[in-house]
Order: sequence, then C-alpha cells, then structure tokens
Amino acid sequence: MADLVKITVDGKEIEVEAGTPVIDAAIDNGTYIPHFCHHSRLEPVGLCRMCLVELETPRGMVLTPSCTLPASEGQVIHTKTPVVDKAQEGVLEFLLINHPLDCPVCDKGGECPLQDQTLGYGPGESRFVEEKRHFEKPVPVSDLVLLDRERCILCSRCVRFAEEVAGDPLIEITARGNQAHIETFPDEPFSSYFSGNTVQICPVGALTATAYRFRARPWDLRKVESTCPHCTAGEAIEIDASQNQVLRFNGIDADATNQGWLSDKCRFGFEFIGSAERLTVPLVRDGDGFRESTWAEALDLVAERLGAVIESRGGEAVAGFGGARGTNEDAYAFSKFMRAVVGSNHIDARMDDAPAAELLAAVQPRATIGDLDTASTILLWGPDLKEEAGTLYLRVRQAVQKRGAKLVVVHPRRTGLDDRATWKFTYRPGTGFGTLEAFASGAGDFAEARKALDEGPVVAVVGLTGMTEDPTLATAVAAFAAGLPDAKILPVARRSNTFGALDMGCAPGLLPGRVSFGDADAVAAFEAAFGAVPDHAGLDTSGMLEGLANGDLAAAVLVGADPVRDVPDGALARRALEAADFVVALDLFLTDSSSLADVVLPAEGFAEKEGTFTNLEGRVSKVNRIVAGPGQTQPDWSILEEIARRMGRPMGFDSAETVAEEIATVAPAYADLRWRDVERKKPEGVLLDGGWYTPKAPAGPDVDADMVLHLARTLYDDGVAMRQSLSLHHLAPGGVAYLHPGDAERLGVTEGDQVVVVGSAGEATLPVRFDPSLPAGVVYVPFNQAGVPSLGAGAAVEVRSA
Amino acid sequence: MTTTTYPQVLTRRMTEHPADSHTLARYEATGGYQQARAAMGMTREQLVETVKESGLIGRGGAGFSAGMKWSFLAPPRPSYLVVNGDESEPGTFKDRQLLERDPHQMIEGIIIASVANEVHEAFIYIRGEYPKPARRVQHAIDEAYAAGYLGDGIFGSDYQLDVTVHLGGGAYICGEETALINSLEGRRGEPRLKPPYFPAAKGLYMLPTIVNNVETVSNLPHILEMGADAYKALGHDKDTGTFLFSVSGHVKRPGNYELPHGITWRELIFDIAGGMLDGRELKAWIPGGASAPWFVPEEHLDMPITKDDCGQAGSMLGSGAVIVMDDSTCMVKAAERVVRFFAHESCGQCTPCREGTTWMQQILARIEEGHGRAVDLDLLLDVSDNISPGLAWPPKMTTICPLGPSAVSPVTSLAKYFREEVEAHVTEGRCPLG
Amino acid sequence: MSWSPETVARAERIMQRYPERRSAVMPLLYLSMLEDGYLTDDGMREVAEWTGLTPVQVKSVASFYGMFKLRYTGKYLVSVCTSISCMLRGADDVMAAVEDEAGVPHGETDDDGVIAVEHVECIGACGGAPAVQVNYELIEGITPEQARDLVRWLREEQPDKIVADDLQERFGGTRSFDWAIRETEGAVGPFPAFGPYGTVAEEDRS
Ligand SMILES: Cc1cc2nc3c(=O)[nH]c(=O)nc-3n(C[C@H](O)[C@H](O)[C@H](O)COP(=O)(O)O)c2cc1C
Ligand code: SF4
Ligand code: FES
Repeated sequence: MADLVKITVDGKEIEVEAGTPVIDAAIDNGTYIPHFCHHSRLEPVGLCRMCLVELETPRGMVLTPSCTLPASEGQVIHTKTPVVDKAQEGVLEFLLINHPLDCPVCDKGGECPLQDQTLGYGPGESRFVEEKRHFEKPVPVSDLVLLDRERCILCSRCVRFAEEVAGDPLIEITARGNQAHIETFPDEPFSSYFSGNTVQICPVGALTATAYRFRARPWDLRKVESTCPHCTAGEAIEIDASQNQVLRFNGIDADATNQGWLSDKCRFGFEFIGSAERLTVPLVRDGDGFRESTWAEALDLVAERLGAVIESRGGEAVAGFGGARGTNEDAYAFSKFMRAVVGSNHIDARMDDAPAAELLAAVQPRATIGDLDTASTILLWGPDLKEEAGTLYLRVRQAVQKRGAKLVVVHPRRTGLDDRATWKFTYRPGTGFGTLEAFASGAGDFAEARKALDEGPVVAVVGLTGMTEDPTLATAVAAFAAGLPDAKILPVARRSNTFGALDMGCAPGLLPGRVSFGDADAVAAFEAAFGAVPDHAGLDTSGMLEGLANGDLAAAVLVGADPVRDVPDGALARRALEAADFVVALDLFLTDSSSLADVVLPAEGFAEKEGTFTNLEGRVSKVNRIVAGPGQTQPDWSILEEIARRMGRPMGFDSAETVAEEIATVAPAYADLRWRDVERKKPEGVLLDGGWYTPKAPAGPDVDADMVLHLARTLYDDGVAMRQSLSLHHLAPGGVAYLHPGDAERLGVTEGDQVVVVGSAGEATLPVRFDPSLPAGVVYVPFNQAGVPSLGAGAAVEVRSA
Repeated sequence: MTTTTYPQVLTRRMTEHPADSHTLARYEATGGYQQARAAMGMTREQLVETVKESGLIGRGGAGFSAGMKWSFLAPPRPSYLVVNGDESEPGTFKDRQLLERDPHQMIEGIIIASVANEVHEAFIYIRGEYPKPARRVQHAIDEAYAAGYLGDGIFGSDYQLDVTVHLGGGAYICGEETALINSLEGRRGEPRLKPPYFPAAKGLYMLPTIVNNVETVSNLPHILEMGADAYKALGHDKDTGTFLFSVSGHVKRPGNYELPHGITWRELIFDIAGGMLDGRELKAWIPGGASAPWFVPEEHLDMPITKDDCGQAGSMLGSGAVIVMDDSTCMVKAAERVVRFFAHESCGQCTPCREGTTWMQQILARIEEGHGRAVDLDLLLDVSDNISPGLAWPPKMTTICPLGPSAVSPVTSLAKYFREEVEAHVTEGRCPLG
Repeated sequence: MSWSPETVARAERIMQRYPERRSAVMPLLYLSMLEDGYLTDDGMREVAEWTGLTPVQVKSVASFYGMFKLRYTGKYLVSVCTSISCMLRGADDVMAAVEDEAGVPHGETDDDGVIAVEHVECIGACGGAPAVQVNYELIEGITPEQARDLVRWLREEQPDKIVADDLQERFGGTRSFDWAIRETEGAVGPFPAFGPYGTVAEEDRS
C-alpha cells in the first residue's frame, strides 16, 4: 500500500494513495473531470487536454492536465474556474470542428463521451466555416473491428491498448499534426485476440465492432451485469440486449479479475445465444433421426429408461458427463441427481483435458489473480494463456511489463508470453517429469530461474500444457511449487464454469463444497442431505467412456457436454455413446454428442437464466438473465428436477435460488453464501476459502518415442459456442500439423505438403507448417479444428509424408 | 562575413581562414583541442562551476543556464549528451554555419561537455535537410577519431567517448529536446510530458541526458580558454558572451552576425544588416524566430537588445533569428505564413495545437484571399486564447509543449499593431497593398 | 525484398552505433529509400525486421517525418522553401515558376518520373532567400528565371549526382554565408547525401 496523501479538490479535502492520477482521485471522490485520452488502465499521456485543471503553486495558478498529475501531499486543485471552463470549452470546439455530425447513424450515439461532454461543457454552435477533414469512410482494421477515421479524436487509447496491454502493436497513429490518423499496415490487420477492447474504450464511434454495428441504438438497450461464459477467469461483463436479443458483451472493470478487458472470444462469443440452430423443443429418437415431442412425453421416457437401467444394472451403470457449461446451481442439481436420484458417483465435468479435480478445486496455498500484481516471480507451466485464458494472459503480461516481475515459462513450444519471459524452457510433451526433475534440481540452464523461485513471493500458474501431457504432471508441478519457500498456486483449466462444477461435486471423487470421499464426517453429512451416497469415488470421463464402450456401464446423462468434440479421443466417445443402452442430453444444440442421444432436452443457456459461476481462484460471481430462452427451453436444474420427480425421488428445487439455498446449507466451502452476498460484492464477487489439498509429487514415466504429439487448444476452435458465433468461427486456424523445419526435412516435406499423423486413437492428414519454436521430434496439432479427426491423448505418434 | 568591429569568438576562425576553417589541420594550427586536452585533467565540479560562472545561456531558444542544467544531471550513469542541431525555426540559420564552417569547435565542445558530465556516448542530431553540414561534421569526427581525440582512450587517457551523427527526417518539432530524444530512440518526434522538466533527470532511454544546442557547445572551448570572467566581459550584463544573430528578410545584408547583447535594434537592422532594401521603410520585425511576437519601429527600434528588455516588451530573443519586414509586406500574409509553419509542424498530440493551428491558418488564408469576415480577427484571438490562455507573455499553455502557443504570436501581433490592415482586407475584400 | 550485401553491411554498422536497436529506425529508413528510391511497404517491413518493431510501428515513425517519402518522388525532388523569410524575398514566384516549368503542382511527380515538386517549410537558408533544394542539396538566392533554368537543366541533363556547389554556381545568387571551398560530394536520389548512410554518390563514399 502506497502512502496516503491529502489533496484538496474544489475545496473538498480527500485522501488518496500518493501518485494516483488526480483525475482518478477526483472522480472517485465525486468530482467529475471530463476527459477523452485518459483511461485508468492505460499509462497517462495527456494528449486530449480536456482534463485541464488549475493547480495552486508558489508561482500562482497553473493550468495542467489532471490525468498526468500524480497526487501529492497538500495539492490544491480547482476544476471549475473560468480559466478551466474556457480551456475545456475550447478543447471541445477543437475536437468538433473536424468531427462529422453523424451521431444519428453512429453506433456510439447515445453513449458517446464526446456527445455527452459537448452537452455538458461545449460551445453552443460551431464557429468553424472551413471544410472538414476528410478520410475514406470506414475501413476494416481487422475481421472484427472497423475504423472511421473522420470520427477519430486521436486519443490514442486503441494504440496504447494494443501496445501496452495486449502486446500486439499492430495499430498506430501515422502521419503528423492535422493529418495524423489511425492505421494498420497493409496485409497486417489488427488481428489481436483482444482487438474488441479498443471498441469498448474508444471514446467516440471511430472503432466499431462488425458484430454490433448498426444493430441497436444505445437508448434501446437493456443491460445486466454478469460473468463471462467462456473463460475460467470469471471476467465481469455487462450484457446488452434489445428485443429479447443479446447484442453485445462489454467488460466491466473488476479489479480482482479482468480489469475491464475481454478476449475477443469472450466479447464476441455471444452470438451462439441467439443462434437459429438452438434447440427449442424436446426431441426423441426416431430411427436414425429425431422427432419433436412434448416435454411430458420426453421426461416420462427419460425417467422410464433410466429407471429401467438402474433397476436392472444398478445406479452405478449410469455415467454423468458435464456441468462445466452451466451455473453452479445447474451443476449442483446434476451432482445431486447423479448421487441421490441415480445413485452413481460416475460424474465428471472435466472432459479428459484437465488436471486432477482436487488440484483444481481445493489446492492450497492457492493464489488469486491479484497476487500476480505483487509476485516477484511468476512460474507458468501450463497452457498458453493467450490461447486459453486471455485476461489472465493480460494480467501476467502487465506484471512483467509494468512492474518488472520475473517470468518463467515452461511449455512445449512458443507461447504468447515468450516475448515477456525472463526464462523460457521448451520440452517435448511426454518428458515433463524428467524436465521437472531437472528444473527442481536447478541443473544447467535452469539454475537462474530456479534460484528466482526461491525468492518470493511466487505465483505458480499450473495446468496442462496440452492434451497429450500426463494430467498428473500438473500435480507434480504444483507439488514442486508448494514446496517453495513463498509460493502460491493458481490452477488453470478450460470451460467457463469448470471450477464451479467441480466445487458442486461434478467430479468422481468430490462431493459439493469440495468434500473428499476421504472425509468420512463430511460424507456422512451428505448422506443426511442426499439420502444414500455411494461410498467410494467414481470413474472419471475416460473411465466412463471406456465403461460405456465395453458394456460395463449402460446409460449416460449429458449435461451441456460434448465429449465427441471435447475429449482427446473423440472416437472412443462416439463408440461409448453409440454402445450405451440409453443416453439423455440436456443441451443448447444438436452437437456431435447430443445427436447420438435417445432423448435431447432443450436447455436454457447463458443470459437466459440466473445463478452463479466460480472462477479459477474460487471466486463466486453472479450470472444473470436478460433474455428469455427460445421456445420451450428450461434450465438444467429444472429439467433434472422434473426427471427426478418422475423417478419418484424429487430433489426439492423449485427455483435456481432454492438450489443456491441448499448449496449454502450443505456444501461446506459455500456455507452460508447467498446470492445477495454475491450481488453485494459486485463486480468482483466473493472469494471462497476452503483449500485442503496439498499436492504431492507423483513421479511419472517419460515417453520415449521418435515423434511425440503436442495437442493444445487455440482461442478459436470448433467448439459448439464458437461454431455458433459467426463473427468468430472463421478465425479458427483449422487443421494444421506444425513441425520443426529440421523434422520436416527429415520427413522429406515442406510447408504446405500433407503429412499423416497417426495418433494413439486415430489419424489425420494435415498440411504442414513450420514452427521453429518446437523442439525436434514434436508435431503440434491444434485441438478441435473443423474436419480434423481426433488423434487421442497418447504422446507417442507416427508422422509420415502423405 | 560581417563588417563589424565587435570581437568575434565563434566565427573568428571561419572569417580569418575561409578556405579551411573546417579542417583539423587549421583547427589545431589555431589552438584547437588544447582546451579539451586541459579538460581531461579537470574534475566534473571544476568544469560545471566554470560554465556556471561564465553565465553561458543555452542558445537553442529556451534561454536556460547551461551550467545549471549540467548540475541537474542525475545519477545513475550511463548518461548521454545530445547536441541539438535540428535548427528549423524560420529565420534561423546560425547553427548551419557553425556546423559547416567550424565543426571541430563543436566537437571540442562535445569533449568538454562529455568529460564534465561523465558521458561516453554523444549524439549530434542534425536536421535531415542539412546534408552538407552533416557531411562536414562527419568528416571532422572521422579526423578526430583518427587523431585519437575521439574513441577509446582519448588524448592518451583511458577515457572513451563515441560520437554519432544522427540525421533528422524533416520535422521541426524534433528541435524540442524531448521530441528530439524520442526521435533519437526511433520514435515519432513527439514531445514528452513534463515533468520531468529536463532530460537531465530522464532522457534518452530514460537515462540522464544533457541536451545542448550547437552554438552552446561551440562556446565551451572559448570559455575554458579565456576563463569565465573574460567570457562574461564579452557580453552585456546578464547576457554574457557573444550571440549569433541570423538576420533575414528585407534588409540589404542578410546573414549571421556575431554580436554582444546591448546594442540597439536600430544598430542591428540599419548599421550591421545594411538597412532596408532601396526605397523601402521598416514596417515590423520578428525579434527572435517565428515563435516570437513582433516588434514595430515606433516602439522598439531604439530598445537595447537584451534578454530582459525583449521579455519586458512582450517578446523574446529566442534563437536569435531576426526577420525584417518592409512596408511592402502584407501583414496578414506574413502572419499566415508563420502560422502555417506551426500548423504544418505540429506533432499532433495535443488537441488545441493540432486543430487550433490549422484552423487559424485557414482563417488567415481566407482573410488574405479577401473572404474574411468582420468577426474573424476576434475569432482568431479567441482560438488563440484557447491555445494560450490569457494571451499572456511568457505564454500560458493548454498544450504539452510551446509549439502550439508559438502560433499565437503572429495573431496577437496583428491584433496589436495591424488591426486596421486586417480590417481593410475584410472591408475591401482584398489585400489593401494590392 | 532483400537488401544488397553492401546495404546490409552498412545497416550492421549503423546498428552498432546505438544502445538500442529501435534507434536505428531513421537511418535504416534512409538506407531503404536508397535501395528502392522511396519507402515501399516491403522496405518498411525490412526495417521492422532489423529493429524489432512491427511494420506499422515503422510506418508510424516514417510518416511522421516529411523526408521519408512513402510514394515515388522522382529522380529529383525540387523543394522550394516558402516559409516567411523566403516568402518575403519572392519565394512564391519561385514556386510558381518551378511548378509551371515542371508541369506539376506541389506534392506531385511529373509523368516521366524525373522531377517532383514540393514547397517546404524553412530549410535554414533565410539569409540567402529565396532558397531551393534539389535532393536536399541547397541553392540560395535563386530567381524565378533561374528556377526555370534549373528544372529544364535537370530534365535535360539528368545528372547522376547532385552537388550543392555546382547548382549554386549555375543557378544561385547570394548565399547566407560564404562556402569558401567547393565540395564535390553529392546526392544520388531524393534523400540527404550522407556517407554513413550510404546515400552519397558512389565515388564519395569513404
Ligand atoms: C518547438 C521547439 C523547437 C525547438 N527547436 C530547437 C532547435 O531547433 N534547436 C535547438 O537547439 N533548440 C531548440 N529548441 C530548444 C530545445 O528544446 C532545448 O531547450 C535546447 O536544445 C537546449 O539547448 P541549450 O540549453 O543549449 O539551448 C526548441 C524548443 C521548442 C519548444
Ligand atoms: S503543442 Fe503541438 S507540437 Fe507541442 S506536443 Fe502539443 S501537439 Fe505536439
Ligand atoms: S484526459 Fe488528460 S489530457 Fe486527455
């Protein structure tokens, strides 16, 4: 905490942290100072000159911008003197002389700082009789963002965001003086994963989003605060809707999580909500296809068929997949449904692509995202955050760039943070344990980085680097980190509410509230609440899939789960679902998986229902409703309750809030946590405690093979939400095999040639691209790309020229 | 060259040895590099103190004590020296003469300044439109390296000093020292925010940096040679040493003149620069570069030329550019030309400068073309007021750097002395001078 | 898009002069203009590679400065100073004469690609006003008639090298100050002739 100082703004004494820009200090304390270039998450530049104030000095009053003035003890500032008023009126007039008056057709009209401040501070009419500056009308700066240079007021927010925050300096001011304008380079668009933030922070309508352009007038919009449905970082967002259509997501500046930023996937990945392909009525199998049915018929059928399986094979013949795409309340209902109604612990929200459930749900000491702001060293041994956790990527980047934190990146290939890394280590997938051992011992090249980790505070960001990595490697890395003198662990995994689902017990070895089966007292408490609970851990996703495929299990319940697309061995998932006696899917779309079900029940999706999410820190935040679900859709918890009733075992829920109420009563880590408590802590939400899991180092064998596979996610892929978001779907890289040029030469192929990659569970023919950042003997294939067969999670692969 | 009897210091060698004043041989034959050699044996304190004592004021236009500036230089090292040879203000051409005709004099000054400020890397930023001066400087640097006066172990000591010429790219604003530093870092030449007020705190690569003008640095060998007191005595009162005036416009003998302060404008314009072209009367002059408010004969002709007198009269000596206008000059056109310069050279960061200077230029052009309106002069003044509140002197600013406010000087000058001429443009719909 | 070995060697020498590689942007932009005659997109990409910037960052810098030409500007760039001191001495007439003789207005290049015309702000020759530069080589005290002769001469002779003192002698008048000696180094294109950047004529490179 920096020192507090007292400053006087318009006669009012306020106390702020020394060095805070005076403009922020004043605004936070109720004195608004108009501004355009200033943005509290960007470095001050003092360009627009709108925020001028008068400062008392020994030499008299000095006119100075308040955005570049750091607060210091005893400052006396005046924001509303005649000199200030005149100067601000002047700046507004200057900005308007060349600004087109096309507010009626401008997306920003109605929520435009320039428009608002003209009303508040501006001159009445224009004295400018010369000709306005002209530029060619809107030009695309990327696939997602358009630029209208006539509207631009050159505040440089977009330029600064791109360079300072995103680390993608692809948009710049060119030319000089009155000719200056924003530009991208020919053939090098501003194709940043974070480009949409510039639309949000542009103080005029110069940057607009193709996804939103001309779709609504701001005054028609209804708004609600919520939590991002794509990432596990729990970004605070505002959802804008009009006429029962979600039209836009904007980031909210929640200090603890996203600080206002969103990746483009999060920002523009709302289009799936209003997709025409949403399921609207229940479907029941009819030969090779489906026929529409009534809810009553479909629910009866599910109750009857599940009941029959339980009757004949026992509850433990039923497998439950999913939970990570819905709210905590939905996940809890699913977890309870599987345990108390079906009588099975075979439930998993992880799609065979995440570290151990206890590590994710209950690791300790667990770091917060905010801990990255004070860490002296950050260890990143996990996914490429730029691809899988955008705002976390920005936060780590900022820690290094602004504060000079040291960063150690360990990953099988180049990552988005390499340019900021103090140390970068690359290794072949499948040799992680050996690498960790060498790293931990501080051998050779690792010496300096290893030493840095002994000087705390350290935050270790831990997850799977890819899907061919042994999931226990993450546990081993976390164990190593836990053994450091002053380190905390931040576990990462994919899919919006994975952490919430695991907390709700959508895991084979966990009961709601992070209760382990090893904890007899806690399990006993659940017996009371749930009735019977099977007394041993169940199967995880791959275990369940194998069980279904070989007939050990007989039925499956899919709740927002698409294992055919999401698990590394999609072919196994397909075989499993085809072999099952009965499959019911609760889903938004007919996916590759739900289309194999016997009954498909149309679920309400994000923005259509209320509840909570839990992020990777264990932070609970609210998810809110702004539109009605299409057709006859129902929330997951309600569908599950209906089935339970028909099976004669009602769960006792009649609203999402009653589910939340029960969570607060029975789930230890969530004890007494009510929606209103979460709402009150908006936009940050409530950070839970309750970690009990100290990772222990499992040693695993390294894979010894000529070629190994690195299979990892990209920001844009062929997942269902992406497929249904038209602005984004075409941005996925598609099927590619990345090879080190040396390997390519050995295989006799060059860029553009086709190779066959034969994985542990399938093979794919893919075009070659060079990636010199790969270690020799590694082929990198982006996961879940359209038209690419799944390869399986085995590291050892064969690659040959096609 | 000049025909005066005033003592010549900076321009003496080039006057006496016009054929080869730029060569090392001539420079050394006339006592060159003795002071740099002597400086090697002096401490930082001694050198800074001597320069402070001499009263040397920076010649780049801002008029700040060179010794004071040096004393601000913050640890930690490394620190840099940057010589400002961006000379681009209309009317100014004195640095070009120093660069071309006596580059070793400046290099010797660089060595002295470097030793005084523990600098091992110096840059000379020369405007891109000065290839010939840059070539001469580069040749001189090459000679100095070959002679062991630059590079590793200069003058047989273990002191290392490297000097690099960096060519500008055609942007006046790079004369502003923080813009110059940005430019030298490979950025757009945009002035940086103040504070810090001096690059001595945070300059090139965010390290302590001394920026000095070519003429300032060229004075250093002479200060060491003659001693601070003798140097002071050359000048007038607080304005020590000699000063290079660049005289241009409607005089018979335009050119650079090395003079002491304290003579009158009448002496400068009529005696030294030869007076007005045949048959013409003096109408006005700009006393200190395009940024300076104008003077008129009725009020200022017999005023002594000193920093203080100019300041009190609401203008400045700046970098010493005197632009003389006779009675054939259309003052609206003259003002438009000066304002056009600033509009063209605005870096574009600050709203008032980017938009305001262009707007003012457009209004002036319109008046000049005969399309002025009665309200235009007041509008010009109000726009000016929004760039430089109160139209005070020295100017207050709504901007980051003084470029924007500089564009206000011609407008306030018009309003003060030539309002009727402006009004005549409006009422007659054309220039009254025909 | 690659540079000649000589230019590469020069670029390497330039890079060594600066503590940070970004600083070499402007010198390298001059090298790039020497290679291509003006700044092409590929040229800026090349400079970006050398300096560790993105191409648009390079363009942002290049376009800030008047002398980095993003369009072809002829073999000879005739720059007429029309700032206040030159204007007072008749620069507007010189400009008109140049435009008329070259047949193109400010900012344009003639159809043959030989001569480009621009008016510029002060070039530091106010004592010798009015002044003109050809490829940044200076002529002072020029009259409108001499300016016409200059343009005609450039078009007819198309010299490989432009040398200030030659031009001054042929087309100039009174100078700001005496040159005293004659120099022979000169420009080979519309960029400043400066040895370390390789932008002087071949025979002048040391
Ligand atoms: C707009 C502007 C343009 C300037 N141009 C020059 C210039 O061309 N040459 C110069 O030496 N100083 C110029 N200066 C002054 C420099 O900022 C700086 O004060 C000077 O180089 C310091 O050197 P000195 O102390 O030796 O004068 C300019 C200042 C401003 C605000
Ligand atoms: S006043 Fe003009 S030149 Fe100076 S920083 Fe502002 S915009 Fe740039
Ligand atoms: S907000 Fe302070 S200058 Fe723009």
